[in-house]
Amino acid sequence: MDNAQARIDMAPLPGMRELRRRSNLVQQFVRFLSLNWTMYRLAKHHG
Amino acid sequence: MARVVILGAGVSGHTAALFLKRRLGRNHEVVMVSPNSNWNWIPSNIWVGVGKMSPDKVVFPLAPIYRRKKIVFRQANAVALRPNGDADSPRGAVDVVYTDPKRAGKTERIRYDYLINATGPRLNFEATPGLGPDAGHTVSVCTPSHAVDAAKHLATVIETLKTGRRQTLVIGVGHGTCTCEGAAFEYAFNVEHELRAAGVRERAEVIYLTNEHELGDFGVGGMTFSQGDHRITSEAWMESLFRERKMKAITQAAVTKIEPGLIHYRQIDGTDNAQPFDFAMLLPPFRGVNLEAFDRDGTDITDSIFAPSGFMRVDANYEAKPFDQWTAQDWPRTYQTPLHHNVFGIGIAFAPPHAISRPYATPDGVLVAPAPPRTGMPSGSMGKAVAMTISDMILHGSPEPTHTASMGEMAAACIASTGTGMLSGTAAAMSMSPIVPDHSRHPDTAGRDPQETTGDIGLAAHWVKRMLHTLFIYKAKAYPLWYLIPE
Ligand SMILES: Cc1cc2nc3c(=O)[nH]c(=O)nc-3n(C[C@H](O)[C@H](O)[C@H](O)COP(=O)(O)OP(=O)(O)OC[C@H]3O[C@@H](n4cnc5c(N)ncnc54)[C@H](O)[C@@H]3O)c2cc1C
Repeated sequence: MDNAQARIDMAPLPGMRELRRRSNLVQQFVRFLSLNWTMYRLAKHHG
Repeated sequence: MARVVILGAGVSGHTAALFLKRRLGRNHEVVMVSPNSNWNWIPSNIWVGVGKMSPDKVVFPLAPIYRRKKIVFRQANAVALRPNGDADSPRGAVDVVYTDPKRAGKTERIRYDYLINATGPRLNFEATPGLGPDAGHTVSVCTPSHAVDAAKHLATVIETLKTGRRQTLVIGVGHGTCTCEGAAFEYAFNVEHELRAAGVRERAEVIYLTNEHELGDFGVGGMTFSQGDHRITSEAWMESLFRERKMKAITQAAVTKIEPGLIHYRQIDGTDNAQPFDFAMLLPPFRGVNLEAFDRDGTDITDSIFAPSGFMRVDANYEAKPFDQWTAQDWPRTYQTPLHHNVFGIGIAFAPPHAISRPYATPDGVLVAPAPPRTGMPSGSMGKAVAMTISDMILHGSPEPTHTASMGEMAAACIASTGTGMLSGTAAAMSMSPIVPDHSRHPDTAGRDPQETTGDIGLAAHWVKRMLHTLFIYKAKAYPLWYLIPE
């Protein structure tokens, strides 16, 4: 049975801290560097 | 001098062409056969589809690049393969029909020493009555012109919302066997983002309609992400995101028919439902591109080279067996065809041995079974691996393929945009390793390496997605040091 909507309605919402993290420029810049590094590593390692 | 013919200047074929020419140099010929004059960076079509990127930013003409790189370009559709040659010669050949304005409709038989089939998908809108922008009632973002059309429809919906009327927007997949759910997901969230930016979100209902068994499946059986020291399923992750963005979802659905303003779909439990809409973007299922194959005497050998889906059979294990017996080792490694060792099939054009997500069907047999995605990163890796193999065969006489790129071993990174904007954008960055779960190597972590299967949402992922747009177009244009940019 498709209970996706019921599960969405019960899903936890991100807290204020998480929402701030997602848009904080400093934290996101650090994340940007780390995401690039992760992707480069994956592509080099597995490509 | 050897001649390598590549069919299809998309992600995989164009990558293969550039690497082949780089390795083979002037002494050998690389010929590209592809029907469109332009190259398209398909992942950015979703931004064209919400009016946030102009179509000329996602395409560029191929001819000048190929001229500069000394790759022969035939703007044509391949229609038939003759892997054993014809009455005149045992050398393999491919029949093409020109599409460029000067020679439109003219045919040619091009001989080859090596052939790469990288023809990608045929967008099979006909599989569902009423699906698609040409003969149906829905829009698409699969091509730049489809995306431009989608953006126009979306702008009309936004204008209507501004008058105070309510609108229902349905975004997802238009058949039970579709793939590319990730693209539909991205478009749904980009539309939601634009509705908010236009100040009309409250009057719009945005519904994601999918054949996935649960949210976050993406045709790869879902993922379990490591986030710091805890683990979360892609299903839970997506449910939270849907709630946060007030999006509705219908899963386990096979769209069966579309009438103006009404989508009919059947769910796994056999129930028939109808969803009204004012705007619907539903992706089509994919098929192979209708290539035929003939033996020297003209006998039709299409069935020995292509699977019933029209995709090319390669070095995979196509034995029919129950889902629980499918393994990562069934997946192809070299993309060489079993009957013709100088023919390869890569990207979306190769026939996958089986689904990655568990397939389901309704009680009356309608399949609700996401087909396995073959996204940009693995498609590019296959192009490179096959280019290396063929150049080793030509330059060093290697009897066997020397390079591999199995989806049962390869990792993939996927950045799913959830809204564009340098300061307001977000995206979900996901990585998984391997793409096809390998339960023998990772028995306790759903077949994937927990260190390399990660998920994160934020502005940084949007920056990465935007950067990849620029980087991959730079690479596809073969600008200096292009080959240093990984697939
Ligand atoms: C809307 C959308 C968004 C996407 N977003 C992402 C994303 O964010 N990330 C990601 O990794 N992947 C994404 N994908 C998937 C990605 O586009 C594919 O993985 C990739 O394009 C596959 O490469 P390919 O070379 O197999 O096929 P394609 O890139 O489709 O290339 C096939 C080529 O073959 C040509 N051709 C067709 N018929 C013939 C013929 N008869 N003879 C000769 N040539 C022919 C076509 O014109 C085309 O040039 C997205 C797909 C869609 C539809």
